[in-house]
Formats: sequence, C-alpha cells, structure tokens
Amino acid sequence: MTTYLSDIWRLRYFWLSLVRNDLRSRYRRSVIGIGWSLLHPVAMTAVLCTVFSQLFRADVYSYAPFLLAGLLTWNFITSAAVQGCQCFFLGETYIKQCPTPLAIYPLRTVLGAAVHFCLGLSVLLVMVWLFHGFSNLPALPSLLVALPLLFVFAWAVATCAGLVNVMFQDTQHLTEVGLQIVFYLTPIIYPPEMLRMRRLAWLVDFNPIAAMLDMLRLPICEARIAPLESFAVAAAATTAVVVCAAALLARAQQRLIFYL
Amino acid sequence: MTLLELENVGLVFSVRCQGRISLKEYVIRGLLGRAKRNRMEVRALEDINLRLCAGDRLGIIGPNGAGKSTLLKLLAGVYPPTCGQRRVYGRISSLFDITLGFEPDATGWENIAFRSYLQGETPRTVRQRMAAIAEFSELGEFLNMPVRYYSTGMTVRLGFSIATAIEPDILIIDEVLAAGDLAFQAKARQRIQSLISAANAVVLVSHDLASLQALCNRALWMEHGRIRADGPPKQVIDAYVQHTTSSAASGASRQAA
Repeated sequence: MTTYLSDIWRLRYFWLSLVRNDLRSRYRRSVIGIGWSLLHPVAMTAVLCTVFSQLFRADVYSYAPFLLAGLLTWNFITSAAVQGCQCFFLGETYIKQCPTPLAIYPLRTVLGAAVHFCLGLSVLLVMVWLFHGFSNLPALPSLLVALPLLFVFAWAVATCAGLVNVMFQDTQHLTEVGLQIVFYLTPIIYPPEMLRMRRLAWLVDFNPIAAMLDMLRLPICEARIAPLESFAVAAAATTAVVVCAAALLARAQQRLIFYL
Repeated sequence: MTLLELENVGLVFSVRCQGRISLKEYVIRGLLGRAKRNRMEVRALEDINLRLCAGDRLGIIGPNGAGKSTLLKLLAGVYPPTCGQRRVYGRISSLFDITLGFEPDATGWENIAFRSYLQGETPRTVRQRMAAIAEFSELGEFLNMPVRYYSTGMTVRLGFSIATAIEPDILIIDEVLAAGDLAFQAKARQRIQSLISAANAVVLVSHDLASLQALCNRALWMEHGRIRADGPPKQVIDAYVQHTTSSAASGASRQAA
C-alpha cells in the first residue's frame, strides 16, 4: 500500500504534466480559454435564478450562491464519474508501454476536473463576499477537511468507473443515466429542507452527495460549519468507495492490460 | 551479472469469443443464471527460461505469431506472467509500437518531457537530457510542432532517442528500427553498440536478419510460443533460414503435385 502510494508520488511529474497538457490542449484555440469551464455553471445559475426567483419568490442574493455551490460540486463529481470512465483508454498508450501504478490515470482525470472546480469555487467566494460581506471567513477553515475528502471521493469514483468501463463499455452510458436520476433526488437546485418537510428526510440523510454539498455549502453560503453527521456520512461513503476502488485495482493491476 | 531472469514462464491469453459484452447483458445473464463462459484460451508463451546478462545483445527471430512481441512485453513488465517467475535487477526502457506513448497534440519537446517523467525522471534531470535527446533525434525545428504531424520516420527518431537517452540497464526494442532512414539506422546501431560497452543489455525483435546478425551476439528463435533455439546468432539464424526455406519449398512442391 505504501509502496503503491510512493510509486504514484515518484511519477508525480508524469501525471502532473499530463494534466497540464490536457488543460492546455482543451483550451488551446479558444479566446477566453479556461473561462469556458465556468460558463456552464454560471449560465445555469443565472437562468435558474431568474426562473425560481419568480416561481418561488426566492431571494436571489442567497439563492444564487446556494445554487452555484451546488452545481459546482455536482459538476465535479459527475465529471469524475463520466470522464473517469475513459481514463484507462486515455492512458492506454502508456499502460501498454511501461508498467505504472494504474491509479495515476483516474488521478489525471480528477485533477483536471479539480482545477475547473477550484476556479468555480473562487468565483463563488467572490460572489458571496460581494453579496454578504466577509461574515463567512471563520467557517471557511472547515473546507480544509471537506475539500480533500471530496477529492479522494472523486478519485475513487473515477477509478471504479474507469475499471468497470474497461470491462463493460456501456458503463459510461449507464452512469450518465443514473447520475441524471440522482441529480433530481439530491438537493442541488432546491434546498434540503424541502425534502425534510415532506417526510423524505431519508433521501437527504443517507445521500452522501447531499452530505458533501452540506460540507461545502454551509460554510460558504451560510457561514456555519456543517453538522458532524454530514462529515460522518461523507467520510463513510468515501471510505466505502476507496475500499471498492482498492479492491478493483488489486484485481486489475495484473489483468487490465489484456482488456485494453 | 544477471539483469533479467525468466523461469518457467508461461502466458495464457483468455479471449472472449464474441468480443465485449455489456454491463446490461452481464447483469441479465447473471439474473437468469445463464452465465456462459464463452472463452478461448490462447497459449502465447510456454516454458520460457531465459537469463539476460550484462553485455547481451539478444536478437529474437521467428515467424509471425510465434510470441516474439509478447515475450518482449513480458520482459518489459507490461504483461504479467500467468505462471513462472520474472526477476528484474535493472532499469528497463522499452520502445514497442512507435505510435504508442506520444501525446499527439503536444509538441516534440513536451513529449520528450512526458516520456522521461514516465521513466521516473525529475525536471532537473530531464533538462540536462533534453538537449542531448533533441540533438540525437536531429529533428531541429520540428520539435516545436505537435507530434500529430510527424512522419513515421520522425516518430521513430524521437522515440528511439528518448528510449536510449536514459541509459537503461536493459533496452527493449520491437521492430522499429527499420522505419528510420539509412543514416539514422547507422546512428541507432552505433548507439546500441555504445550501450553495450556501458555493460547494458539489449533485446531486439526484427525480421531484418542481416542487421540482427551484425548487431547481436546472441539469438533466440521462437516458434509457437516456445524457445526453439538459443545461441550464437550465425548458427541460430542459419538454422532458422534453412528451416523456413525448406518448409516453404515442401509446401510449394506439395502444391505443385
């Protein structure tokens, strides 16, 4: 286990330069460059804010940051799962050339997504500071726990998705369908209280993504640290996915090459 | 000094007869209890015993499908052996398919860096090697161009320059030298020879028997996944040529009759 991690660390220049190359080639010929990645969540937020502020008479100044935080986190997790499906095919040339720890390929995908996520997060913070001032600063250090947890979760999800997708190539399609369903079951565009009021509290309480959302959203938007239960649920889910990913990796390290 | 050792190694590919199945298919078959295992086993390598020592320049010959490339990939550690032992006591650098291992949209310079990092280099050591690699490849201005637009020969030059620059203990090359032009082939030959003098080992696969005989001091004849002969290049290559021509002749005479 430690030798595996130190192997990953030894190759850090390799996967870091691949991440940089991915980002660069994706935005090479576009004028606003990496800003494109912000366009989707920001545009979604603008549209939904306009609609919902009319429909539910929601307060735009608190709803917009709430929504943006939710969409950013959701986009990060889905891109880990969906792009993660392709990660081993993307690294096929290297896997066939040289033995490497396989976990670096999902890591490459997730790091790319994390760059976009962090960019969005800084836009969100500026937005909150403009609307509500700096009252959330005391709660922000809790992100130092939440963000690494989210990152490890996404890395493990991408690993599982990638490995299953090598075996069964319809995984990506099924993942997209499944995520679409989860999107509506998770309090992303509506507040979790709406589910709680209607005796659907279990949908929130046992949803690891809802817990992750709480960990990020509450300190940023409401200037308070998420309840311990959210951390517990998120940590439990992360542990479960990490164990799953490690078990799959242990099986795949010897065999993946025959399926590529 | 032994650098690499294979002991009773075998490799079995398990191939699905109907290509890939989907997850939906898999789950439904599992639920209906009709999990048929429609697989075919291919014995790619059997009973391979090989000891590679410092100074060995091993050339591997044999007909198509004899397991030459598979053996190389197993030596490099890309394929894990199904049975038997593989022991390595040195740093391996490999050059298989020339189109493999390049990011098509990145420039030649960037690809030099990626490949070197993959071998475990750091930015500091890479910077020292960059110039030497670029010079050996003779690609000049083309290194600023995305590798996507390189010709086959240019890709080979780049790949070979990188693979040999890290001074590996063991260099493994699969049938790629022929793609470079004459001048580069001569240069590559020289580089291989200088690697030998640094007490390293080289393993080559080639159908170019003349250049194998010139380059190697040991030859391995593979057939049907087994080692048929292992010895001095002249002897092994002569036996291989004789066997091939005689079987071709008998095939032709059978057809004529």
